[in-house]
Amino acid sequence: MNELLTKLSECIEFGKINMASPYPPNMKGQEGADEITRKALEEGVNPQDILSLGLMPGMERIGVKFRENKVFVPQVLMSAKAMSTAMLHLKPHFLSGAAKQKGTFIIGTVLGDLHDIGKNLVGMMVEGNGYKVIDLGTDVNSEKFIDAAKENPDAVIGLSALLTTTMVNMEKIARDIKEAVPGTLVTIGGAPVNNDFCARIGADHYSPDPQGVVEFLNTKFA
Amino acid sequence: MIRPITYSFSELTIDKVHLSAMLGFPEGNLPEPFDLYVAEAFQEAEMICDIQGAYCFTKTIEFGAGNGQLIVDGLEFEIGKTIAKELRHSENLALFICTAGSRISQLSQELLTGENPVLGYIYDVLGSMIAEAATDKLQLEIQKIANEQGSAITNRYSPGYCKWSVADQHKLFSFFPENCCKISLSESALMYPIKSVSGIIGVGANVKFREYTCDLCNQNECFQRSHRRIKA
Ligand code: B12
Repeated sequence: MNELLTKLSECIEFGKINMASPYPPNMKGQEGADEITRKALEEGVNPQDILSLGLMPGMERIGVKFRENKVFVPQVLMSAKAMSTAMLHLKPHFLSGAAKQKGTFIIGTVLGDLHDIGKNLVGMMVEGNGYKVIDLGTDVNSEKFIDAAKENPDAVIGLSALLTTTMVNMEKIARDIKEAVPGTLVTIGGAPVNNDFCARIGADHYSPDPQGVVEFLNTKFA
Repeated sequence: MIRPITYSFSELTIDKVHLSAMLGFPEGNLPEPFDLYVAEAFQEAEMICDIQGAYCFTKTIEFGAGNGQLIVDGLEFEIGKTIAKELRHSENLALFICTAGSRISQLSQELLTGENPVLGYIYDVLGSMIAEAATDKLQLEIQKIANEQGSAITNRYSPGYCKWSVADQHKLFSFFPENCCKISLSESALMYPIKSVSGIIGVGANVKFREYTCDLCNQNECFQRSHRRIKA
C-alpha cells in the first residue's frame, strides 16, 4: 500500500492534525493529516483510496481503543479534528463523485434533552468511518427527524438521550419515524439507554459506544 | 427560609490532578498541549463561572408505607428503597440546588464545535467539577448548621440516581422560588444551565454519613464504573 496512506492512517489514529500542531508530542515537527492528504492528492492518489485506506483505518483503530478504555475523549477529539482537516481536501471529490461515502447517518439528541457531547462523538466517529453525517443538533422533535429521513432515503437514524425522562420522547420519536418512513433503521444510545429499552421501543440497534454504531452501519452498508 | 449562596472559583476545592484524571490521565501526566489547555481553563475559570446555589430545611418528613416513599411537607417523593435506606432516621431534610452558571457551557460548546475541541471538552468537564465542588461546599454549610443544632447529616442524594425518578425534580423545585439561582427546569426535568445539581440531605441526631459508591447506582454501562471512579 502507498506509504503516504499508511502515514495518513497513523496521523488520524494519533490525532496529528498538521505540522504546526504540537500533538502528539512524539510526532512534533512531522507532517500531519493536512499536509499528507494534500500531498497524496497532488501525487494522484485516488481520493477514494485516501478515504478508505488512509483515513478510515486510523479512525477505526482509535474507535476500538476508545471502546477498550485505552484512550479517552481528548484523544478521540484530536483524531476527529485530524480527520475533519483531511476531509476538507476531499470535499470537492465527494461533490464531483470521484469519492463516495458509504451511506448517510442522521443523528440528533431527542426532544427535551440538551446533552450533546456524546452525540457529537458518535457523529465524529461515524463520519470518520466513511459516512456522511447530518447532525440535527439537540432537542430534536419527530418532525425534524422525519423530514431529514425523507430527504435522505436509506439513511440510518441515531437518537441520543441522557435522561430517563427524555427516553420517553425517544420512544415516541422512534415510533413516529417508523410509521412515517417505514423501513428506516433507528439506532439509539446514551447513558440510561440499554438493550431491553431498545427492544421495547422497536428500535433496531443499541450501542453503549460509538464504535458499536459504526459496526452496525457497516453491516448495513457493506 | 431559602438561604442563597454564591462562591468564587478560588474558594472551591478543585485541583488540576483531579481534572487530569477526569480527562483520562490519572497520574496527572497530561501530554502537551493538553497541560497548557488545562492551565488556561483554570486561569479563565474565575471569569466564566457564575456559581450560585440555594438551600432550605423542610419542616416535616415522614417515610411512606411502602419503603421507597418520603413525604416532605405534604409532598410525596418516590425516592426508592436505596435512598430511603440511606435517609433512615432523618428528622428533617435540607433541599438544595446549585449551578456553575451557563457561560462555561457556552464557551465549551463554541470551542468543541470550532477551533479547539479538546479545550472545549476540558471546559465541559471543569464545569461539571465546579457544579459538584460548589455543592460539596454547600453541603458543608448545611452540615455546620445541623451540627450547631446537635444533628448530623447524610450524604446528598439527587433525583435521577438510584431509581429515584428525575421527574421528581419538579417537586423539589417547588420548594424554591421560580428562577432561583437563575436555574430553570424544563418539562422533561432538565435543569438549565446544564452544569447544575439538585438534591436532598437527611438531617437528624442519628443519621449516618455514607460515602457514595458504585454499588448504590444502577448505571451499569458507566465509564466511571469502568474507571472505578465514583462521584459524578
Ligand atoms: C458529568 C455528569 C453530570 C454533570 C454534567 C452534566 C452535563 N450534561 O454536562 C453534572 C454534575 C452537572 C450532572 C448533573 C445531573 N445529572 Co448527571 N451525569 C454525569 C455523568 C457522570 C457523565 C455524563 C457525561 O458527560 N458523559 C460523557 C459523554 C461523552 O458520554 P455520553 O453523553 O454518555 O455519550 C456516550 C454514550 O452514551 C454513547 N452515546 C451517546 N449518545 C448516543 C447515541 C447513539 C445513537 C449511540 C449509539 C451512542 C450514544 O456514546 C457516547 C460516547 O461514548 C453521567 C453518568 C455517566 N456515566 O454517563 C451522569 C448522568 C447523565 N446524570 C444523571 C443525572 C440524574 C443528573 C441530574 C438530574 C442529577 C440532579 N438531580 O442533580 C443532573 C441533571 C443536570 C441537568 N442539567 O439537568 C443520570 C441521568 C439518568 C437519569 N436518571 O435520568 C446519569 C446517567 C447518572 C446516573 N448514574 O444515573 N451530571
